[in-house]
Amino acid sequence: MELGTSEPVVAEEDRLRADCYALLARLLAAPPTGELIELVRSIRSAPGTPLGRAFGNLATTWRQATPSSLKDEYSVLFIGVTHGELIPYLSYYLTGFLHEKPLADLRGDMQRLGIGRRADASDPEDHIAALCEMMAGLITGAFGMPAPLAEQRRFFDRHIGCWAPRFFENLQAAKAASFYMPVGAIGDAFMNVETEAFAMAA
Amino acid sequence: MKTDNKIKSPRRETASRREFFKMTGLGAAIVGAAAAGAGAQPASAASPARDKDAGYRETAHVKRYYELAKY
Repeated sequence: MELGTSEPVVAEEDRLRADCYALLARLLAAPPTGELIELVRSIRSAPGTPLGRAFGNLATTWRQATPSSLKDEYSVLFIGVTHGELIPYLSYYLTGFLHEKPLADLRGDMQRLGIGRRADASDPEDHIAALCEMMAGLITGAFGMPAPLAEQRRFFDRHIGCWAPRFFENLQAAKAASFYMPVGAIGDAFMNVETEAFAMAA
Repeated sequence: MKTDNKIKSPRRETASRREFFKMTGLGAAIVGAAAAGAGAQPASAASPARDKDAGYRETAHVKRYYELAKY
């Protein structure tokens, strides 16, 4: 049993991390589907930690939301007329512009790690939702074998840790954010957890 | 051998990491949402490029798109 098997084994805590990234990805990629709304409403969490409280608030808040109010808020926050209140891209946060070097650096790493781009994707790959999805995939092995922790850490440091905490703070504080405020709180708390956990493994 | 010195320290590291994540509330929080991410279709721009050729073609195509878009 101690000898390695050929099946990738993802530890329980890593499965949970991947689920958290995947959930953030779904929440931030587009206005929620009915299925996602139901799922969020069904979340039960223990309030003993910031992350637990944030999940609890999300479920409570979304039980009072309608699909159209969620769609409207998402649109004001992330789409807008020319752009939303927030511009959730790595390149924008680091340089003030879209499509700059941070995006090129990300594409370099994507290619190296075997991460492709969906044919129907219209957003640049450095959208927060795409990056969360990539982290989830690196953890579970969606792009091949699960990435070793050192590789996950490198990807996190280079493409997420350097700006996503600020983005999630901004989301919490955004004028238009009420249903999405807990999403910012989840992201904020989870980024803290990830940063601390990577530091432990160093 | 389980007691091999070489693997002792990574194991301790793994154990403390596991303990740490237990304390964060991550487990309790997402039990209900576990299906969330896992099952559903990809949310955004990323997809596996196990077929390297397909992945690369797409990337090149997109690269060209942004070259054009940047004037």
